[in-house]
Amino acid sequence: MRPKPPPKWPYTLAGLTLIAIVLVAGWSLDDAKWERLPQFPGEILQYAGQMLDGVLTWPGAHPAGQADPELTYGDWWLQSLRLMGESVALAWIGTCVGALFSFPLAFLAASNTSPLVVRVPVRLFFNAIRAVPEILLAVIVMLSLFGLNPMAGAMAIGIHSIGSLGKLTLENIEAVDPRPVEAVTAAGASWWQRIRAAVIPQMLPETVAFWLYRFEVNIRASAILGVVSAGGIGALLNRVLRGREWEWGGIMLVVIIIVTILVDQLSAALRHRILHGAEATAVAA
Amino acid sequence: MSIVFDDVSVVYPNGTRGLDKVSLTIPAGEFVVVVGLSGAGKSTLIRTINGLVPVTAGKLSVGGTDVASARGRRLRRLRAEIGMIFQGFNLVSRRSVMGNVLTGRLHAQSWLQSALGLHPKADKEIAFEALERVGIVEKAWVRASELSGGQQQRVAIARALAQQPSVILADEPVASLDPPTANLVMRDLQRINRDLGITTVVNLHFLDLARRYADRIIGMRAGQVVFDGAAAEADDAVFEKIYGRSLTAEDVSA
Amino acid sequence: MTQATLERRDGPVRPAQPPPSPLLVGGLLGAVAVTVVAGWAIDFSLAPVIEQWPTLMMILGEVVHPEWAEITDPSSRLWIALKETAAIAVIATFVGSLIALGVALLGSRVSAPPAVYRVTKSVMSVIRSLPDMAYALVFVAVVTGPLPGILALTIFNIGIVAKLTAESIDAVDPGPLEALDAAGATRWQRARVAIVPAVLPHYASYVLYVFELNIRASVVLGAVGAGGVGQLIMLYFNRADYPRLAAVVIVIFVVVIAIDLLSQLLRRRLV
Repeated sequence: MRPKPPPKWPYTLAGLTLIAIVLVAGWSLDDAKWERLPQFPGEILQYAGQMLDGVLTWPGAHPAGQADPELTYGDWWLQSLRLMGESVALAWIGTCVGALFSFPLAFLAASNTSPLVVRVPVRLFFNAIRAVPEILLAVIVMLSLFGLNPMAGAMAIGIHSIGSLGKLTLENIEAVDPRPVEAVTAAGASWWQRIRAAVIPQMLPETVAFWLYRFEVNIRASAILGVVSAGGIGALLNRVLRGREWEWGGIMLVVIIIVTILVDQLSAALRHRILHGAEATAVAA
Repeated sequence: MSIVFDDVSVVYPNGTRGLDKVSLTIPAGEFVVVVGLSGAGKSTLIRTINGLVPVTAGKLSVGGTDVASARGRRLRRLRAEIGMIFQGFNLVSRRSVMGNVLTGRLHAQSWLQSALGLHPKADKEIAFEALERVGIVEKAWVRASELSGGQQQRVAIARALAQQPSVILADEPVASLDPPTANLVMRDLQRINRDLGITTVVNLHFLDLARRYADRIIGMRAGQVVFDGAAAEADDAVFEKIYGRSLTAEDVSA
Repeated sequence: MTQATLERRDGPVRPAQPPPSPLLVGGLLGAVAVTVVAGWAIDFSLAPVIEQWPTLMMILGEVVHPEWAEITDPSSRLWIALKETAAIAVIATFVGSLIALGVALLGSRVSAPPAVYRVTKSVMSVIRSLPDMAYALVFVAVVTGPLPGILALTIFNIGIVAKLTAESIDAVDPGPLEALDAAGATRWQRARVAIVPAVLPHYASYVLYVFELNIRASVVLGAVGAGGVGQLIMLYFNRADYPRLAAVVIVIFVVVIAIDLLSQLLRRRLV
């Protein structure tokens, strides 16, 4: 007896529902100007060409149509680098703030190091700050405290990072092998001694790797914060691209790409070293 | 189809020598078992036949086609003629038994057919017949991952049969199975060889299973053929030559 | 140390404690140095917290009295913007993920020839290095409204989903692939039959993950005029209309947490 094949309609139905949802979403956007979509490739290519012109022009040359006749392409490069440096710096400080506060808090939020009454509010706190986008934090709280400067961005990123790093750190703590903790407890260790001797050594490498990863994410976030003038390269990028100064914008984008990739590579190598030790790094290289 | 090795050597990119000047002729319809320690070159031998491992020197032909020079479409057509069975079954665990057996028909389908998962009726018929031959047709629509090891290996045999091959290669097909199941699977392979006249080359770790099922035994050691003869000729002296030590109780337990 | 070894003639020599690894010391010193330089670069100072405290309290005082009408009235600007944000996220996730699956197949050594996967990988890392905001800023130059937001997020999604999925493809069980090769399957058939089914649950969980990110991101993209709630935030912020801003924040907060929980629930069932 050959068995009957199972029905296929549930998959078909699920697929059609998904497509229907997307179509309804598209249809609901009445000012989406879908008819402009075919123009994108051409126009974007044209802008990209102008950006490339800016990037490939000799840095000593003077761009046309600028108010300051002394200005050179080289000045744009230097200015972009300096602002990108500011972005990286504020991302770093933000990550430090996040790491500094999330680390101790995570022990109060993990099920194997903290009682339920403490755990629940701390976890709620993590989830709550994670749910507020950095930009809102920056706009409402940080800009009014620090004004339009990088400290506002750094603190917005820092507070937001407490939430995401806290969640990851507490997951690391909960993933710790319970046997050494039991052994230390059996030897008469206090709560603090247990954490210091059995928990931290097990979860520290992964946690530090997460800090570095968060730093990479925060560099991208810092570019966004610039748009509300909370420091870094974003503010100028916003102004330049809106002003359609494509040559200038191209230089800024290339600087962002290069610096981001460099920092990513460096951080990935460090993370690999932290997680897998020297031997594995040598083999990978 | 007959398989002819003529002075075939295989050297891996890392310098390991897999085969060392092997010359063999396997006539069509024969049931050959290759025995040897792990690392003796059994797997390499079997994988050169369908080009999964490229030959570095010598000449190897399967049914008159030169394997070393076959590429792209020609290599795929050759592989379609050769069914293969693996130690780890190598089923796509998330697909149904039927879906797995139908992968044996891929060589006969266009890219559009395989993209949409539309299998011609004739292909389904072939797949069902293959499942019936190994006696597992009632599991046709069950997920492959839900079957036991022995059942999975039978599905893998059905997959090879669905290719309607002239040659079947089996790389340690029973190494992951318990002894009773191992005998069942070996018997299936033997029956298929007898009924359909498919040339069958099986790798085995143990000599006694080989003696029980093979027409001919090839013993390998360090990439070379050290014994080649009828199953009945493979005595304890031959065993020593292949394994480099005398027989112990452990070796015959399987 | 020598003294001690001389005195203890019986038993093996006690080894000295090794000094901390120079790499560790270097790493820590490096981290401190980077922090000091970074702090100097952004003029780190917490003094404004004290100086500006009254201002913050004043603003927060307004924030704690949100304009509830904005939330309760289903035809308010907030709900229109929110619908727009949701639609942007849905379309960008769908289109981006679909393209990403193909890109992922081109970006893994398991499914693509070496030259193709190397090129794909480097192109993807360049694409990922730009924040979604940068794409939105360029696309807004062509046309304003939701369309540039959708396109920017689509590119952003392709970057993330393709990277994660390619990593899953790299880790696919090689056994079934070998079986398909042995059965004479083409590269395309291998992908369709063995690779895609194997990575599908991971892929689905990445798609849910970027959908979550998109909801947050489309809040931000609006700030440069790419439609959605973000535009509304900038409007109320520039008008210093904090009660309405607070209403927006509350709704975003609830929506983000709800989607977070939902997608976590779904993802746990997938993998």
